[in-house]
Amino acid sequence: MSTSLGRDERRSRRALVLRPSSRAANVSASGGHAVSHGAGHASGRRRFSLCAGSRVLEKRHAARVLDDDGNDVTPQPLSQADPSGAHQAKVDRFFVEDITGGSASEQATAAGSFTMPFSRSLFGSSRISSLSAIESINEEIEDIFSKRDIPINYPDEHKKRDTVEEEVTEEMLKEVIDVYISETDSVSLLDIPSTVMSVDTDESEAIIERNRQYAEVCRNRMGNDKYMERSMQTLSGAAKDKHVQSDAVVMVNTATSASTWDIYDALCSPVPQKTNYPEAVVDMSRSAERSMSVGSTASTATAVSSLKEVDAFGSTSGAESDLQLIMQSETFQNCLLVMEKSILGNTFQPDLAAYRQLPVLEDPDFPVRQRKEETESGGPPALQRLWAFSCELNRGRSVRSMAWNKKNTDLLAVGYGENDSGDLTPGLVCCWSLKNPTWPERVLHCDSAVTSLDFSANNPSRLAVGMLNGNIAIYDVQGREQNSHVVSSSECLKKHLGPVWQLRYNQQGLSFAGEKVEELFSVSAEGRISRWFEFNTGLDCTDVMKLKRIHNTKKKARGNNTEKTGSVLTAMTPGLCFDFYPTDPSVYLVGTQEGLIHSCSSSNNQHFLDTFRKHFCAVNCVAWCPLSPDVFLSCSSDWTIQLWKLDQLNPVLGFTSIQRAVCDIKWSPKWATIFGAVNEGQLEIWDLNSSFLDPVAVQPAAPGVTMKSLLFTSRADCVLVGDSDGQVTVYQLKNLRVGESSQERVGCSSDCTGVLVSSSEFVQVDILQDLCSEASS
Amino acid sequence: MAEVEETLKRIQSQKGVQGIIIVNSEGIPVKTTLDNSSTVHYAGLIHQLVMKARSTVRDIDPQNDLTFLRVRSKKNEIMIAPDKDYFLIVIQNPSD
Repeated sequence: MSTSLGRDERRSRRALVLRPSSRAANVSASGGHAVSHGAGHASGRRRFSLCAGSRVLEKRHAARVLDDDGNDVTPQPLSQADPSGAHQAKVDRFFVEDITGGSASEQATAAGSFTMPFSRSLFGSSRISSLSAIESINEEIEDIFSKRDIPINYPDEHKKRDTVEEEVTEEMLKEVIDVYISETDSVSLLDIPSTVMSVDTDESEAIIERNRQYAEVCRNRMGNDKYMERSMQTLSGAAKDKHVQSDAVVMVNTATSASTWDIYDALCSPVPQKTNYPEAVVDMSRSAERSMSVGSTASTATAVSSLKEVDAFGSTSGAESDLQLIMQSETFQNCLLVMEKSILGNTFQPDLAAYRQLPVLEDPDFPVRQRKEETESGGPPALQRLWAFSCELNRGRSVRSMAWNKKNTDLLAVGYGENDSGDLTPGLVCCWSLKNPTWPERVLHCDSAVTSLDFSANNPSRLAVGMLNGNIAIYDVQGREQNSHVVSSSECLKKHLGPVWQLRYNQQGLSFAGEKVEELFSVSAEGRISRWFEFNTGLDCTDVMKLKRIHNTKKKARGNNTEKTGSVLTAMTPGLCFDFYPTDPSVYLVGTQEGLIHSCSSSNNQHFLDTFRKHFCAVNCVAWCPLSPDVFLSCSSDWTIQLWKLDQLNPVLGFTSIQRAVCDIKWSPKWATIFGAVNEGQLEIWDLNSSFLDPVAVQPAAPGVTMKSLLFTSRADCVLVGDSDGQVTVYQLKNLRVGESSQERVGCSSDCTGVLVSSSEFVQVDILQDLCSEASS
Repeated sequence: MAEVEETLKRIQSQKGVQGIIIVNSEGIPVKTTLDNSSTVHYAGLIHQLVMKARSTVRDIDPQNDLTFLRVRSKKNEIMIAPDKDYFLIVIQNPSD
């Protein structure tokens, strides 16, 4: 039956050969399909060879892959076809039977008689699958075969294919091919006919009869001679070996050493990163010697590759992007700063050690120039220059004001005003750290020249800056971003219109929480003393005092304490400086441009408590003695420094050294009898214990530079002097003999200049004794 | 970014600084002011040293980590600031 079928098939196949035109379309389409799989155009052409009437078997051409040179690079099949061609033909016919959508019974029987080896059935199934991949096929066979793309090479067909190929090629090249695309019919892949049928059909009677006969046979079977028991044996088919080859399983060797901190890291790290195995393979193949991987966590492949030879020096693009990433990272910036400070620490180590009163470490390898230090009680008191804070940002600007940070005593804020030529440049505030004298930690640019500044005690990162145009701005110096401007008084209606000559944070009273309430006070050139508070986003102020100009000073009798309303109050006089009483923060002193010093109370903003007159030029600075109550100093442009006591309207002592205006004066925070004064030409340290006439130590200014401001350090024995060139120089006080009894000095009080005589002599003694007792305590 | 460049320039101009090397996490120098051979030499050797130092510190107490390493020698001082992603190496001769 199969052979007959086969003949039929062949006939049908041949039939299709004779209908080239209708079938050519499908074939060409399939040819195109085959071409898309990379087969050479020859395979497509091959189809047309069938029209020439050759055997049909060639139709079942597998796809052939040709490369550019025309070499046949068709992949070999997994299993070689059986050499016997006849067997193949039969086999193929079986395929045909299998595949065709013939009648149901045919299909069933074909499956039953299917004795092909297992491998062939694979092909069959693959063909069926390829069929299913295709849209639809006709019942005709040619479509089935032509659309096959299985690389099956049959040796006998191969020969025929070759011969056919040569004939066709030239012709086919010139021929115009029409491509007709049509939809093929649907294919039924499985058709199991039902075993029941309706009674109404024609055949039902025959079926019923047969069923009845069968039932009778079954009944009669038991004792019937016609039926015998017999055993059968089915032959098991010959087994065939099949070899399968697969890719080698990639094995990767990894090793790691887990140290204590490896384990700790693995416990603590939130997301353990997966090892990148392919990369590891690549890495292994790249570097020949691969010792045990570094004992870092098994996460990053970079740890593995860190043992690579350092060959490419910055030449790969990876290194460039690395550099960019590194430079932009925050930690790198911090690290740079730390490094800079370390380097500077090396350079400035002797100076900084002297500052901190630590022994200077001598470098054992470089026993270089030892500074001649007159240690202990060797020589006279002297000032030794340690270093200077300066950079090119503030070259040429005069230092107007300096302030230490209340919390971090290594941080210094310096306000720079206009430069020498006097033109109004925008002001600058630099925050310097002791650890880096060459570059400020923070640079704040202000709108106009800076005249005063002060750090807050409650919020140590807040810096209040008063400027030449009357604005007050509060900055937060903690952040690194430029101009972290917290609040400014520029929008305030009651802001100062003249330069703010001094700012001070003052702690007055206690708030509910028990901490000191701190307020900002300022005195300006328009004669107002204001208290500022933050309001919305700006500052607002209330006037604490207005400095009224006292017109007729000569007529006022001496010793007249309060100001009577009889004097004519005209315009206001600029206030230049003020200072709060250490023990009672509501009382303060104000120095005016007229040369008067008023003591006022913040509770009374109309009248002064006292007025101290002595100076006849502007009072540049007043300072309460921090260690002795009721004693204060004032300095003025009339070349003098006066020492006052609170309850006396006349100065107790006066000092003058050279005939220059005294710009700044400060008490030493540690020693009660020492204060420093800066006039334009030199820095002077006065010791009341030693002498009233002359300063104990004098440091002349550098030529061409005038000294402008002064600051003592709280812990060290150093003073900072700011000058008009923008430098802040640190001097160390050496060999100051303090704490000695000064009884023998009392006698020279009569020689003091500028001191009122007579009754005040004894007062001087009292004061001196007070000061000395403070110093020795 | 410009600030970082400026800081690097300042460091370079400090007294006695002989060279600055920035090495990435793989041990490849990415920026240097010395010549090529010295840079490669330093980078390779210092990398190993820092790994050893860091391992030592962390073995003693895993919660600790190395932040700065200074090697003082007769002729100069090598200061190394290690980090997860990079090393910063500065060689200074403070007596110059």
